[in-house]
Amino acid sequence: MLGLSACGGDDKDKDDGDKAGGGGKESAATVRLPELDGEKVSVAAVWGGAERKVFLQVLDEFEKRTGAEVSFVPAQDPIISFLESKVAGGQPPDVAMLPQVGAIEQAVANKWAKPVGAEAQKQLDKNYAQGWKDLGAVDGKQYGVYFKAANKSLIWYNTEVFENAGVQEPETWKEFMKTAQTVYDSGVTPMSVGGAEAWTLTDWFENIYLSQAGPEKYDQLAQHKIKWTDPSVKAALTTLGDLFGKKGFIAGGASGALQTEFPASVKQTFTGGDQPKAGMVFEGDMVSLAIAETKAKVGTDAKVFPFPAVGDESPAVVGGDAAVALKDSKGAQALLTYLASPDAAEIWAKAGGFVSPNKNLDLKAYPNDVQRGIADALIKAGDDIRFDMSDQAPQAFGGTPGKGEWKALQDFLKNPKNVAGTQQTLEDAAAKAYKKS
Amino acid sequence: MTTPDAGGTAAVPPAQSTPHTSKSGPHRAGPRKSVTGTRRTIAALFLLPALVLLGALVLYPIGYSVGRSFFDKAGDFSGFDNYETMFSDDGIRTAVKNNAIWLVAAPALTTALGLIFAVLTERVRWGTAFKLIIFMPMVISMLAAGIIFRLVYESDPDRGVANALWVGVHDTFAESSGFPQGHPGARSPLKGAGGGAFITKDPVRAGEPVVLPLTGVPPGQMPDDAESAKPAKADPGKVTGTAWQDFTRGKGRGKVNAPDTAEFGYPGIKIEAVKGGKVVASTKAAADGTFSLPKEAVGAQLRYPASNFREPYNGVDWLGPSLITPAIIGSYIWMWAGFAMVLIAAGLASVPRELLEAARVDGANEWQVFRRVTVPLLAPVLAVVVVTLMINVLKIFDLVFVIPPGSSKDESNVLAVQLYNSAFGDRDAGVASAIAVLLFLLVIPVMLFNMRRMRREGRR
Amino acid sequence: MTIQSGAPKAPPVQVVKAKQSLGGRIAALVSGSVLRVFLVVVGLFWLVPTLGLMLGSLRTSADMSESGWWKVFGKPSQLTFENYESLLKDETITDSILTSVSITVPATLLVVVIGSLAGYAFAWMEFPGRDWWFLGVVGLLVVPVQVALLPVAKLFGEIGIFESTTGVVLFHTAFGLPFAIFLLRNFFAEIPRELLEAARLDGAGELRLFLRVVMPLGAPAIASLGIFQFLWVWNDMLIALIFADAGSPPITVALQQQVRFFGDNVQILAPGAFISMVIPLAVFFAFQRQFVSGVMAGAVK
Repeated sequence: MLGLSACGGDDKDKDDGDKAGGGGKESAATVRLPELDGEKVSVAAVWGGAERKVFLQVLDEFEKRTGAEVSFVPAQDPIISFLESKVAGGQPPDVAMLPQVGAIEQAVANKWAKPVGAEAQKQLDKNYAQGWKDLGAVDGKQYGVYFKAANKSLIWYNTEVFENAGVQEPETWKEFMKTAQTVYDSGVTPMSVGGAEAWTLTDWFENIYLSQAGPEKYDQLAQHKIKWTDPSVKAALTTLGDLFGKKGFIAGGASGALQTEFPASVKQTFTGGDQPKAGMVFEGDMVSLAIAETKAKVGTDAKVFPFPAVGDESPAVVGGDAAVALKDSKGAQALLTYLASPDAAEIWAKAGGFVSPNKNLDLKAYPNDVQRGIADALIKAGDDIRFDMSDQAPQAFGGTPGKGEWKALQDFLKNPKNVAGTQQTLEDAAAKAYKKS
Repeated sequence: MTTPDAGGTAAVPPAQSTPHTSKSGPHRAGPRKSVTGTRRTIAALFLLPALVLLGALVLYPIGYSVGRSFFDKAGDFSGFDNYETMFSDDGIRTAVKNNAIWLVAAPALTTALGLIFAVLTERVRWGTAFKLIIFMPMVISMLAAGIIFRLVYESDPDRGVANALWVGVHDTFAESSGFPQGHPGARSPLKGAGGGAFITKDPVRAGEPVVLPLTGVPPGQMPDDAESAKPAKADPGKVTGTAWQDFTRGKGRGKVNAPDTAEFGYPGIKIEAVKGGKVVASTKAAADGTFSLPKEAVGAQLRYPASNFREPYNGVDWLGPSLITPAIIGSYIWMWAGFAMVLIAAGLASVPRELLEAARVDGANEWQVFRRVTVPLLAPVLAVVVVTLMINVLKIFDLVFVIPPGSSKDESNVLAVQLYNSAFGDRDAGVASAIAVLLFLLVIPVMLFNMRRMRREGRR
Repeated sequence: MTIQSGAPKAPPVQVVKAKQSLGGRIAALVSGSVLRVFLVVVGLFWLVPTLGLMLGSLRTSADMSESGWWKVFGKPSQLTFENYESLLKDETITDSILTSVSITVPATLLVVVIGSLAGYAFAWMEFPGRDWWFLGVVGLLVVPVQVALLPVAKLFGEIGIFESTTGVVLFHTAFGLPFAIFLLRNFFAEIPRELLEAARLDGAGELRLFLRVVMPLGAPAIASLGIFQFLWVWNDMLIALIFADAGSPPITVALQQQVRFFGDNVQILAPGAFISMVIPLAVFFAFQRQFVSGVMAGAVK
């Protein structure tokens, strides 16, 4: 319990008022939730720090509306192992926020996940594009409700650095490399890479690959229907290697980048006045959370442009956290319904660092233009979005520190010339991991 | 104190039990008999809670782990497979290797430091204050120590104190150069000459001013006396030219390969004229970037030697894959040197003064006294300290769990962390049990030693 | 704990010095000042990491990401309690401190009570195989907790106390017992037999004897045991990581969760770690004297 259950008498009074007023009078509510007085609902998620705090606010509202008592269970990464221990211990949480498509599939395969109920399905149909619904479905059955989306095709830059170098936001990879060169010539290292957390590296690869090889190949590679030794992979790695291998382009060099954790990679781009450690940093919208811990302001000191098009089009790689019910309880279903509604999304959207896949969420809810732009792009991409590939892969390949793709790409960062070797390592690891799953 | 030191400290009883055993008071004589003529049931009642807990939570798990280690992840019998995995799986092998490093290095270094501190503080009046400072880290959690050392080892010398000190020391001996990151821009008349130097593509001629444009020196690191760059005047019989930063803030390169007024010269940058691989003349540029070389330079290629561009020294990657284990051991020593010091100091206090005095009278100098008398007398205490630390190090967990960043986690792996990961990450109870059994086997000698000593004391 | 046993007994070094020659004394003086400088440097070196944490915890994360903590010496205005204020508003952290207390206090009391009972039984009661039983307990002293993690997790899961404070307390109690019994049995054994016999003659029963005579006489040892156990349990992370309820973890685990999610979110980690250190340090300093007297009592009796 995180002291969430602060819903004493007051809250209930409010509830009663609402109920008395009937449906029409509810001010902001767009969704009807059942009454769950005193019922306990537990939610597991890996969120910590600022993210957890905001999510607790989202849950607070649910408590207020239903009278349920919600407890947040901080889970450990990888969440699927965490849940395994919970299920084994006989105490699975009612709902888990699963950060990967693969995790949903595993939860279904293990028979932990329960399909969404009618109410939640109604909300999904109303508020979600087919692409997002499909990501939460396994074998045609809907299990997941994507509550939080991540647009992972963004490059953030320090506006002062761009001004000093006299460069504009690039649109294609060629322009991007030229921009980087000019930034370098101006005396600032162009890119910050948070290589200590290898998921940033898999995201680099995926964006290049999706844009260069196209969505079809992307899907095939994600399902390991083509091998990692495929020429398309070679091309993408070569492109990435051009950037990683260029002397002076990566802050701290490869060894420095490998020690830089994601928040640090962001912070070093937006601190240090006109001499930051780097001018640009790549990653999804959550970058703004880390910027918030510096003196820089999103929208003025920090801006963002879409990942440059390597091939014909800019990529739209997304991620997201889906709520999945692990118990057949009324509370769990009500929570899914709530999370699929614009009401829940609005709370977090206002707090920032959040993009909702919910197309009925008013864009006004976002706190600034940058965030609004990111969300807008995501909704507009519609069904063309592609989910983070490493998140679709078996955990052993795409999501375990020191193993599989994570390890291979960290080694690649160290030695960006080794394209063929990296491909082979990736393929070996993939063959092993996909066979098992 | 920090970690389960039940084992460790108990192995150390000298300090605690010395008072008891050394002094055989009158009441010590004769076997202790029940003063009360207790009934056995009462004895059993007194013992029951302890025995139940020990049996269920300590003894039974040992048996369970031994048994479980012969079954695979799914629970099928697999013989010694798990033990084989332990020595064939890369991750676990690293853990075994690192544990060996820990076992050898950490107790030895900690004890050595403890000994030095104990001996040195013995004669200093405020030795107690010093001891307190050294001892304090032992009282805090390993997690807090881990957080402390994450900050200490931060690689950026502007933020991590270890690197700040290191770089400070380094820079007093090796000055960094004035033009780090300088490099030729696109379409430059310069090319790389290997080793970080740049050289003109073509030989230079007299009377034709040369341009040596570079880019990329961070504005904040340009020499303060830099002035706006000027084209050099032609001077027949000499080689003249300009060395400058061909980049204007906010504007880019302006006119490429020509000094614009908004661009700055490179005062003091070194320029060499090279003919047939030999330096025939050299000079330094003025504040506006202009320079001139004597006629020997005619027909030579001009070169910026690499010394101009030496990167500022950024210190050591403490938390990088190659140094991670020594770095964590460093934090461990910080925590535990106090423990060793205190025990050794207690031992030192009980070394008979007369013996030292006698040695001195025999003409031994202080070092000889230390080496020949003190250390041998301390040997039992030192042994106890080392063994205690070894047991402690064997199961080192928190520091290794907390300190390394993701990219060094592999390289820093140790058995206790691996066990945790196998058991609660991979959910492979078989391998986890095998590791547990290995850890247990490693402490058995100490266990037997403790029991033997206890029996001997009992007999006394 | 054992620290002071050495410190207070300053050996009579002067006797030795008096016999040194003049040259020797001068040499000693010079090397003495070198020694002092050396010790001061080492002392500072030892303090710096903690100092860094403390000063870091008093700066905003924005300042921390700009420069190192030592910059506050030039700019004391950077010091602020902001981090502590927001930390103390963070329920995750404040709850975790309470959880730490609710684990540590029972785990300490239980070890003291159960350990005393057993220690007394081993010291003064007669039953078959007494010494062998005790030897067995001594053998358990060095058993690494790791051996028990998985089996006990399974056991606790079966009886429904996995991931609960009860489970953590029981685990700590069990692994604290061998040392407790060892220490207390040896201490109790030193109680003069005559005292016990006198009490017995007065008609005291076994329990009364234990409560009225043994416990009070054993107070010094019990105190040092209690402090040992308190610090051990308070500082533990591993056992809590596995056995505590992840929803309301003790402070060590709560902080560790922040490490993994944020990499360098110093504004929580630094003050959090500092708060987690305050209690063990306070306990240590507050009971230092008790320690000394405990050890002394053992020696003088």
